[in-house]
Amino acid sequence: MPYKYTDTHTGSDIGLTATGKTLAELFADSALGLTGIMVDLKGLREDQMLKVDIKSDTLSELYYDWLSEIIFLKDAESFLFKRVSFEYLEAEKGILKAILYGDTINPDRHLLKTDVKAVTLYKFKIEKSFGHWTGELVFDL
Amino acid sequence: MNGEFIKRLTNNIWEISVSYKDGMRVPARIFSSDKLIGGIDSKIIDQISNVACLPGIQKFACCMPDGHVGYGFPIGGVAAFSTGDGVISPGGIGFDINCGMRLLRTNLTLGEIEPKKEELLNRLFQTIPPGVGSKGFVSLSRPTFNELMEKGLGWCIDNGYATDSDRDYVEDRGYLEQADSKTISEKAISRGINQMGTLGSGNHYLEIEVLAPNDIFNKEVADVYGLDRDNQVVIAIHCGSRGFGHQIATDYLKLFGKCIRKYDLHIRDSELMAAPIKSAEGQQYFSAMACAANAAFVNRQLIVFGIRKVFKALFGKSDSELGITTIYDVAHNIAKLEKYNIGGYETELLVHRKGATRSFGPGHHELPEKYRTVGQPVIVGGSMETGSALLCGAIKSDQEAFGSSLHGAGRTMSRIKAKKSIKGEEVRQRMKKGGILVKTGYISGLAEEASFAYKDIDSVIDAVDALGLSSKVARFRPVLNIKG
Repeated sequence: MPYKYTDTHTGSDIGLTATGKTLAELFADSALGLTGIMVDLKGLREDQMLKVDIKSDTLSELYYDWLSEIIFLKDAESFLFKRVSFEYLEAEKGILKAILYGDTINPDRHLLKTDVKAVTLYKFKIEKSFGHWTGELVFDL
Repeated sequence: MNGEFIKRLTNNIWEISVSYKDGMRVPARIFSSDKLIGGIDSKIIDQISNVACLPGIQKFACCMPDGHVGYGFPIGGVAAFSTGDGVISPGGIGFDINCGMRLLRTNLTLGEIEPKKEELLNRLFQTIPPGVGSKGFVSLSRPTFNELMEKGLGWCIDNGYATDSDRDYVEDRGYLEQADSKTISEKAISRGINQMGTLGSGNHYLEIEVLAPNDIFNKEVADVYGLDRDNQVVIAIHCGSRGFGHQIATDYLKLFGKCIRKYDLHIRDSELMAAPIKSAEGQQYFSAMACAANAAFVNRQLIVFGIRKVFKALFGKSDSELGITTIYDVAHNIAKLEKYNIGGYETELLVHRKGATRSFGPGHHELPEKYRTVGQPVIVGGSMETGSALLCGAIKSDQEAFGSSLHGAGRTMSRIKAKKSIKGEEVRQRMKKGGILVKTGYISGLAEEASFAYKDIDSVIDAVDALGLSSKVARFRPVLNIKG
């Protein structure tokens, strides 16, 4: 699996470590791991589509803003992320344009789990090592 | 826990001296007990001593007996800053701004609700939706939502969702005057506008509890708080400002990252992002945080409105027959201007409480007249299996902890470990055997909130009682629980 959930020091929340050969893979896998905290991914359709356009100052900020956007869309648009198609990703310059595919929250069809409030900066990390990108995250639940 | 830099000051206070770490401006104090101190994570020492390094901090940084590791501040952290050269830090408030508790009394007793327990649970679950993606029953336009966040409980009264009596028994009467909707992003509005009147998720809950005669520690104070009959039914609500507050915290955490460089602030932890209180950014965040705090007061009030409707319909009784009134509503995650004695002078400070409760003692002018002789109710939420507790504020908290006390039992085990230890269905069955019916949208989540994942609530309330930060009044046992 390109992501795994981890214990956190805070106890009340949840950690996520994601990996990818490219930044596009890392961003996609991290978003999927994040969504998997909130809903059983198996029940998600891909019949909803949303465009996102994010500009940040740094790669690290872009990663934070990207995941914060997934949380935002869950509340503001009732949208649950399943897949992403990047139209433009210059992550190291902090630029991302993408089309998101996913589902509208529906308690009758979805096994809804625990809500995520925010991406924290606790042990927040994005780095490249031995040709792979790794992201370490802790989400506030 | 004693060491070169950590000394036991009194029976229940351990002090970390300024020599413990470079940059500490004041000592840090851990409030605890012999029973609890052994379980203190070393990371808490690290976090509370980092707080003691923040500019403008006064006297000492405090950690309450239910303290556990948080982001920036530990949960259970309290610190007060000069309004001159001090800072305001989202890390000292948390993502869930004004997460707090409302406690309601009723005229009902356990015997009266017993035959209708299951129906009551189902109706409450339908009326007050918990979990991911839930939407409240109030449809708000943007201008109305702006009004709501600026007026707090006043908005509820204007719109028929609260009584004057509700407002009198809410901390700060449910209104922080610093609120200014111009400091709020479109994103925060979009996240929160449909969520007013919802419970949320994680450790948030709505609980129907019972006060048994042998669970009263102080009958005189209990009477003043309206706890006046055997096996009385009370209702506890634990939730906050929902996505609205979470987005405000996210927005300003990013902005404050830039303030660290702009104002050359030396912080020990990236989660302690801060800005000078007097700076434009600091003032903006204070106003935005106040909007979230007001929205959280409204959120809990709308839940109360829904509860009253359910009880009236199910029991066929009037408001006065049911007597569902607010004992008190307290904020757990907040920063507020309060006055304390600093060097012999009454001084206005910005008090940050993160997982801590205000605990004003008898005589405090901000308390409603009815409570002025006994002190403020301090509501302590426990795990869903153990119920909650009610204490009363004490004057000593004013001198020892910037008018603060504990807020809950305090978590000791991660969610992942808890889920590995037990299945959610087992917890549900165990609770049923113990006379507690629980309903949730996510059964596995029950395992995350099992009682063994928390400190023993009786030990933590004993600790603050011994410390004199607040005094025990009563314990409540759960009978129905809606887990968010």
